[in-house]
Formats: sequence, C-alpha cells, structure tokens
Amino acid sequence: MSPLPLEGIRVADFTWIGAGSFTTKLLADHGADVVKIESKERMDSLRSSRPYKDGIPGINRSGYFADRNSSKRSITLNLKTEGGQALARRLIGESDVVANNFTPGTMEKFGLGYEAVRKIKKDVIYIAMSMQGDTGPESKYLGYGLTIGALTGIQYLSGLPEREPVGTGTNFADHIPNPCHAAFALLAALHHRRRTGEGQYIDVAQTEPTIALLGPTIMDFSVNGTVVERTGNQRAPVCPHGVFPCSGSDRWIAISVGTARAWRSLAEVIGVTEWLQDPNLATGAGRWQRRMEIEAHLAEVTKRWLAEELMARLQEAGVAAGAVNTAADVVDRDPQLKHRGHWVTLNHPEMGPSIYNAPPFRIAGAPPVPRRPAPLLGQHTDEVCGKVFGISESEIETLRRAGALT
Amino acid sequence: MQGKATQPETAARPAALSGVRVIDMSGWSGQYCGKQFADLGADVILVEPLDGSSVRRDGPFIGGSASIERSIPFAYYNAGKRSVALDLNVTDGQQVFKHLVRGADLLIESEKPGLMASRGLDFSTLAAEAPNLVMTSITPFGQTGPYAHYECDDIVALALGGLLYLGGYGDQPTAVHGNQAYLAAAQFASVASMMALLGASSGSAGNGAQHIDISVQECVVMGLETAIQFYDLERNVRTRGSGQLSMAGVGVYRCRDGEIYLMAGGIASTRFWENTVRWMMDGGVADAAQLLEEKWQSHDYLATPEARETFNSLFKPFAARHDKLALYEEGQARRIPICPVRTPKDILESRQLAFRNFFVTQHHPATNRLMIVPGAPYRLSATPWKAGSGAPRLGEHTNEILEGLGYDAVTRAALLKAKVIN
Repeated sequence: MSPLPLEGIRVADFTWIGAGSFTTKLLADHGADVVKIESKERMDSLRSSRPYKDGIPGINRSGYFADRNSSKRSITLNLKTEGGQALARRLIGESDVVANNFTPGTMEKFGLGYEAVRKIKKDVIYIAMSMQGDTGPESKYLGYGLTIGALTGIQYLSGLPEREPVGTGTNFADHIPNPCHAAFALLAALHHRRRTGEGQYIDVAQTEPTIALLGPTIMDFSVNGTVVERTGNQRAPVCPHGVFPCSGSDRWIAISVGTARAWRSLAEVIGVTEWLQDPNLATGAGRWQRRMEIEAHLAEVTKRWLAEELMARLQEAGVAAGAVNTAADVVDRDPQLKHRGHWVTLNHPEMGPSIYNAPPFRIAGAPPVPRRPAPLLGQHTDEVCGKVFGISESEIETLRRAGALT
Repeated sequence: MQGKATQPETAARPAALSGVRVIDMSGWSGQYCGKQFADLGADVILVEPLDGSSVRRDGPFIGGSASIERSIPFAYYNAGKRSVALDLNVTDGQQVFKHLVRGADLLIESEKPGLMASRGLDFSTLAAEAPNLVMTSITPFGQTGPYAHYECDDIVALALGGLLYLGGYGDQPTAVHGNQAYLAAAQFASVASMMALLGASSGSAGNGAQHIDISVQECVVMGLETAIQFYDLERNVRTRGSGQLSMAGVGVYRCRDGEIYLMAGGIASTRFWENTVRWMMDGGVADAAQLLEEKWQSHDYLATPEARETFNSLFKPFAARHDKLALYEEGQARRIPICPVRTPKDILESRQLAFRNFFVTQHHPATNRLMIVPGAPYRLSATPWKAGSGAPRLGEHTNEILEGLGYDAVTRAALLKAKVIN
C-alpha cells in the first residue's frame, strides 16, 4: 500500500471552531502532521459544544470537536507568555504551513503575523481565514456561521418565497465551501513551493468561496438584471421536482423528473395513468405550466408509500428519486454509504468507540483514513516537545511550571 | 478602516499551477473543479460531446434566450478553458482522446459507472497511456455499490446525503439553492485531485497513476454539521431548525427594506445582549430597559417562548423602522453580530467586496458581452488567482489542439467529415 499523499508535511495549526479546523483536518487525515495549538486558558470553543458522549459535558467529550480534529496532535502552549510564543516559533520553524482563522490582527498580537513568521521560516505557506478577509471596511466585523450564510446569499435564496428565508439549517459555509477552498489553495501553494522553493500568504475570506459558488445566480442579476427569488423545491423548467410526503412521521421523498421517459415511468409506478392520456403533460413545458396541480396530486399519492419502497420502485423504472434521509438513516440504514465504508469507528481515549466521516473520496491503493481519533487537550504536548523540538523532560517540566506549557 | 486594498499586478506573477495539464470532460458535478485549476493557471481542456456539454442547455441564459452559447452556468464554470468537441462513442474519437490523455496530468470525468470502460477508456487503459495520470471520477453514488446505477439529480443527492432533512420548515424540508450537492462534489474533487498530484510529485504515492472515486452523496454527508455526532453520542436525531438556537435575540428579523440576521443571544457573551439592548434604548425603545434584568443573562430563560415574545415585541418594531444596511453598520459599530440577509443585488453592491475588488469583468466571446462575475475565492500573494478568458464556444479549440497533437490538416478534415470532431 502506498503512503498517504501528504506525508512529510507539517502544519502549525492555530485554527479553531468550524471552517479552519475542518481545513486542517482534511490535511491531517491524508498524512500531514497537523499540530493543533491550544491552551487550557484558551481552548478551541468547540470542545465545549454539544453533543457530548452520553450527553455528559467535558472538554474531551464533544463530538463536534472530535469530527473536525481527527488525525491531529494537540499541544497546549500559552501564547500569552513569552515562553509559549517562543515554543510556537519553534514549531513554526519546523512546519511547512501555518494556519489560523482569527479576526485580522490577532496573530500579530502573539507576534505571529505573516511578516514575523517569514523571518522564522522563509518559505512558509501562511493561511489566514478570517470572516470577511484581511482588508476592507468590514474586515473586523463580528460574525458566526449563520451570519456568514446571510452575507453570502445562501440564506436569502433558500426556502419558500412566501416564508422566512431559511438557508440550509446548518452553518453550511463552515463545512464544505470554506474548508474545500482553503485546502485547495494550500495544496496549490505547496505545489508551487515544491517547484520553486517560494512560500506565500493566503487570504481566504469566509464569505467569498460561497459567493463564488453562487456565480450563475449572481450573474443572472449582473448580466440580465433578473432578481432571483426563493423557489422552495422548484427548479424551472423541471416538473415534477421537489419533496413529497411519505407514510410515517416526517418522512419524505425527493423526486426529479427531467425527461419524457421518466415522466411515463413515474405515472406507471404510482398508477396515475390519466397523466399519460393528457397530451399537454407530455412535454416538460406543458408540465411546468401545471406544476401546482401535478405536484399536489403527486403529494397525495406518495403519502401511501414508504419512502424507501417508492425510491426503489422509481429507481428500478429509471426515475431520479431519493428518500429524505435523517442522520439515523445515513448512519444505520443507507446501504450505499455502508458499501463505501463511509463511517469509520475510532476508539477515542475518553469517548470510546465513536464514528467519524471518512473523506468523500477514495484514492485507490491509499491506506484508510482518518487515521486517528481527535486528540485530548494537550495529549501530545510532551511528545511534540520531545520529538519535534528535542526538549528534555526536565526542560518540559520547567516550561510547564513557568506556565508556557499548560 | 484599513489601508487601501492592493490590487496585485497579476500579469508579472507566476501561476501556482502553470504547466499542469487537465482534461475536463465532466458536467455539473465537476466543471467547477476544472475552473479552480484553470484560475490558478493550469491548462484545462474541456472535452465536450459533438452537441455540447449538458451544462450548456441549463439556464439562466444571457439575454434570456436559450442557446448553447448563452448558458450562464456554462459561461461561469468554464471560463479559462479550451473546448474540444469530440465523439467518444466512436473508435476514432477514442483514439484522439487517448492522445489527449497522454499529455495530461489530471483527467476529471463524471460519466455513469461503466461508460468509460465500454468505450475502452477505463482507468487501466488510460494509465497505460499516461503512467502518472490522476483520474478523478465523480458519480452520484460512487463507482460501485447498490446505488451505483441509480438516477440522480442535485435534490436527490441532497436527500440521500441527509442535508435536505435539516433545511426548511417544521412542516416541509426545502433544498438549498444553487446545485450545492454537485458543487460539493466538484470542490472535493479539486482537493482530492490536488492531493494526488502533490503526492505524485513528491513520490510518496509510489509510482504510477492514481484513480480517485468521488461520490456526490458522500460529499453532501460532509455537510451535516453535528447531526451525525448528536445521533452517535446522544441518540438524538437532529431535525429542522434545531441547528439554530431558538432563543430570544437570534434569527431573521424583517426591517424596512428586507431582512437582517441577529445573534444577540445564544453565543457565550452577554456583552452582545447588553449592546443590543442599549442600542434599542438609544433608539427610543424605553421599554427595552427591562431586558437588562438579571434573568435575561440565563440561556435557559432566553430559550423560553416568553423571552422570545418579549424580545420580539420590542426588537421587531425597532428593526422595521430601519434599513438593513443601517442596521448592519450601526449594530456592528456597537459590536453586535448582526448582518443583512443579502440578496444577489446586495452582494454586488457590498462595499466590503468592492474594496477587495472581488468582482471582475469578464469578456464572453460568444456574445461579445462584458459580464461581472465573482472573482478570487482565495488570494495567494505569490501566485494570484487570475480570471481566465471567457468560456469557449463549442469546439472553439478543436483544430488547434488536434494540430498540437500532430494531426495534420488532411486528417483533421477527415475526422470532421466523419463527424468524429466538431
């Protein structure tokens, strides 16, 4: 089996909470040595976020933290002490990448801004992932995942036109757009450094990747002047297209009928053959005209079905359909994710066996990832001090008593 | 206000991915990946069927009239690429394709599982042509498995990936706007492909080509936030709305010209709460003073219907008197996490994005229009993101690329006549 693609790359990881930690997790899972810097006084606040193992709070029990920090090492340095900053500089000297997602100016307060870091490690790749970027009149504005959703348009654009905008119900940008964009930029910078020896500074605003993804919607306004509004689950000109109730409580099926063949198959499977007698419904344009009537009728029929059964029957007949899975469904029941080996159980030192996402891609021949569960707070302090810095045990004790190591 | 934004002189700078050769024959689930490579300087060739990429048939369209040269999604996701129109279902087309792949570092494809093999273009065949090739295959559910041959659409992947269940209203889930399942796959494809290329160049991946198998459904699963852990650790199945703290002072509020998002409560800071209350009081809402009483510092109290109602009765009329931008700027000046629920128009008019020169103007050759499009989603100081030339016309570069592969004019004419290329 081949080694992992990022073996040999070390990351001094000052990120915390959502998007930053997820970015460095992608690297850690694939072989990079990601050393996460926290302190007892200033730990990643996700450590005190629900859910906790068995519902019992504890700094080493948060599932939110665990999932975002698999395969990393944790050291506890107090960056407010000179000794702690000196150790951080030592780590940076041994690292290829320095990552943070603080408000602009925070790393500078610790003496760890880009210019200072470059003096320690000339070819470093330094990535800063602040909310709105490191320049501009709003660069120091406050915000969180949900305000990012509002700023990027994804909240306004998602939901029903006559009701409040709802977005995804999650801090979407934290989980996919920002970590993926940041990781891609970092990897491209590593590629450039390997060829030229040149490091660089990367500024990722946590609003801009999501806005970039929404390019066509933005351009419908900038190019055509069209004001795009929420459309619920409708996507012109596809009909039917949406989510329809099934038997049971809060059970649904998503159906999308984009072709004449799929339309015939749908009508046959659910036994609404009168649709096939109506020539006006044979074309997509004709169905789009009468979408309210069609989708209301479909919703009456789907109620009589179990979502999984209807999905299987529709898929056999070539219709795009999928049960609206809950978290329990994707973990326990979805046969495709099982087949892919998506859920990986790792034995966490305090939480015990708990499940982690595997990355959503398989590189043939590569070892399985993630490699390790999330670290306990400070779990690797002695190990990193000893093996990376070459500090003796007695020196470690001295630093601990001085409050540089916590 | 910080110093003025520096607009780097990109022309003189090197590109991070110059010299990387990419063949992109994907659709919705992969074209953004090709764009990410192109915008950092890779040479990306889009291989389209003779009647064009299916994305060309998706609207909205430039000027509103449907045409394969006017699709806005196509124009956006394929800027900076060159287009070859090639029939991969005939032997001669497959031969040309193999020649193309021979010079490539990365192939991005999103055909149904088995289709490339039926054309004689499976991974092992292509790896024999290009021994260091990274082949990234994106499918709705992965190359194998019980759903491998299921039909899919963005909303179906959102459903089976569990994200759809979390979005919407108590009485109905709604799907996120903008093909986010497909785009999630394209983004993870970029990460995985770049990792594999990097591994290949360090030699850590050993010798030989690498095949990457991406599932759109699995990419959606990455976006479930805490839902999986709530289920695994607390046996609690997250439902719609439970990701947002239903607390007084948190959520969407209507204002004079739209909506704002406020997070005055809920986050571990009573400072935001107090700042919000003082703001209302300064704005003439005298009754707001009651919100400074001690009980309001308890998260448990903030979560009660009584607390929400009391707060709303005071804040809603206050918000309704102001515009979203005024609320944003004044609230932020008072150190309150508040922001507008922006429309696309608001985003285009944002002073922050304008300061950062986020939007760029791109020429669209097929319609000879200048279009304002989103620009750099990341800023690399030494190797800046650069807007590519406008999206290619169908087959615009067929001739020059085949010529580059060594096909002479006579052969190219014969291929054209035989409807192998266009």
